[in-house]
Amino acid sequence: MSSSYERIFDIPIGPQHPALKEPAMLKLKVDGEHVVGVDLDVSYNHRGIEKAAEYRTYIQNLYLIERICGICNVAQTLTYCLAVESLHGKEIPARARFLRIVAEEISRINSHLLWLGVAAHEIGFDTFFMHIWLDREITLGLMEALSGNRITSSYNVIGGVRRDVTEDLLSRIRKGLDDLEPRVKRYREIAINDRSILKRTQGVGILSPADAAATSAVGPTLRASGIKSDVRADDPYSSHDQVPFNVITSDGCDAHARIIVRLDEILESIQICRHCISKLPAGPILQRLPRRAPQGEAMSRVEAPRGELFHYICSDGSDKPYRCKVSTPTLANLPALVRMLTSKGRYVVNIADVPVILASIDPCFSCAARVERTGGV
Amino acid sequence: MWSAILPILQTIVFPGFLFLIAVSFLYEWLDRKIYAWMQFRAGPVLAGPVGILQPLADFVKLMGKEDITPAYADRRIFGAVPIMMVALIFTFWAVVPVTGSAGLVSFRGDVVFALVSMTFFCMLVFLGGFSSADRFSLLGAERAVLQLLGFEIPLMLSLTGVCIHTGSLSLSGIVSWQAENGWTLLGPQAIGFIIFLVAAQAELERIPFDIPEAEQEIVAGWLTEYSGRKLALIRLAKDMELVFVSGLAVALFLGGPVGPSPAGLEWLVYPAYFLIKLALVVAILAFIRGLFARARIDQMVSFGLRYLVPISLAQVAATILWRLA
Repeated sequence: MSSSYERIFDIPIGPQHPALKEPAMLKLKVDGEHVVGVDLDVSYNHRGIEKAAEYRTYIQNLYLIERICGICNVAQTLTYCLAVESLHGKEIPARARFLRIVAEEISRINSHLLWLGVAAHEIGFDTFFMHIWLDREITLGLMEALSGNRITSSYNVIGGVRRDVTEDLLSRIRKGLDDLEPRVKRYREIAINDRSILKRTQGVGILSPADAAATSAVGPTLRASGIKSDVRADDPYSSHDQVPFNVITSDGCDAHARIIVRLDEILESIQICRHCISKLPAGPILQRLPRRAPQGEAMSRVEAPRGELFHYICSDGSDKPYRCKVSTPTLANLPALVRMLTSKGRYVVNIADVPVILASIDPCFSCAARVERTGGV
Repeated sequence: MWSAILPILQTIVFPGFLFLIAVSFLYEWLDRKIYAWMQFRAGPVLAGPVGILQPLADFVKLMGKEDITPAYADRRIFGAVPIMMVALIFTFWAVVPVTGSAGLVSFRGDVVFALVSMTFFCMLVFLGGFSSADRFSLLGAERAVLQLLGFEIPLMLSLTGVCIHTGSLSLSGIVSWQAENGWTLLGPQAIGFIIFLVAAQAELERIPFDIPEAEQEIVAGWLTEYSGRKLALIRLAKDMELVFVSGLAVALFLGGPVGPSPAGLEWLVYPAYFLIKLALVVAILAFIRGLFARARIDQMVSFGLRYLVPISLAQVAATILWRLA
């Protein structure tokens, strides 16, 4: 039977759209309110950072690398520093390793709170969004106290960290964490009990454990599908083996499980911070390393707030990297995203669910734009 | 001579058009302030004392902005919808009692007349979205009509309860019944009042039922292609609709403007009562807006038909039994 008009038509979510904070293109094929097909293009913001890194010295690259992503700048510089340090084959002082964990966990709390606010905004719950972002100010204050900057911290340097902490500063951080903890617990309670949040997130964006493994999802997206995988635990890169912590997982496999996993991770991060502050070893914070890196290759991986972050550096013995390669967690999560958006079976994805599902992987498209798209996906 | 001019003045100045526009801007400000207060924000602060002139400033600014009509839009319908929306609310405002038990116009059955306005408004929303020739507008228009399915029947039933209770089909009859019997309507019809507020929230397209213009999903829904003067008029119409629907709630459930007053001062005290009760209803609606996430369209319709309709039917049945007893 033929009809005089096409029932299925395209809805472009992007490159500019209120649900997206960065340029990306999500071409939805919709039948009424139901999504029947997805075409994803994320290469709107290729910045050539990897190429630019080849023209700068290792020290200069610190400031370039941290601008790959504003929110996970600590994780970016940490991964880069780990790679360069492993080129040199040098261990860094224990105190610096613990301070790196503190900075990393504070930035993880910051990133997860930011994400939670965005997720609340995507389901139209602006009051929740505003309240969460007010409390996010606490973590920004902590980051400023620790590094001197609210966002772009420049805290990690090759061979250690930039600034030492004083007893006064540590007590300020402790107080900030004490203020934050009851707030996060309250948000967790709301996220579990509020019916209007449950209605919009439960059963939405299903990613089965098998699919999560098959699409190589990373980070909270993977852990919310019940798979226990965390670089901090699997490959302790910065004295994480001396810090007791749990890898948070959930069996929900939906957008709601991703909210809960991230909220639990915030609470876990607060505990990690507290432990590191109380067990902070004495000693130097910086191991000076030569300007030129020995010839060779190095790779490093870090559990960034969004998932596993991977850096590769090839050195030709000069003071500039010969090749630098970055693989961000968002890129690893994109196949899982497409799987979620086209999930069939009991539940059909609505247009109204697309922003929630999109937000649930915590996308950072500008970080993911490492390749130019030339043809169809 | 005076008797000829008075109705014209009443229609144009008070309690007619100018009064309605002023009150609309005032209550948009109140709504925004309460919403901002719930979110630890300041809300409008710049224009006028405590930002009270901000809605007016927004309106004037929008009026001066570039007005674009999409190339493929149906120009006549697209252009007519904003004007018709404003005209619609102006017309129906005449039945809302502001200065006494009766509005500017009062007749038996004006409750039904007021109800028609809600459906009409929704039809205009659909026309506006449909004539825009835009994907997002089309989806928004489709959602607006679907949403009408969800809230229209409970809305009618909630009014039916009041009409049966007071034995009157006119707003003035309902208001004077409440004036005679004290505030005895809100108690037995409390469920009806709540249902009316929920349905009003859906009619006004506010969170949790701002589905036809859901920003994060379909940009601005049926409003996507509107800009400049047309958008200013639509926003004005939506503000006026807020006041109109809240005014209906005041008249139907909260006793309207009539209340105790020193003799001879009714012309001043009654409108004051009206404005205070109106502020109360707007505040409740603003609270609802701040407390929920947006529902999905299928959830909204099934919520309306599964819960609101049976509850309001039960309310009507109970009212009938009470009348027979």
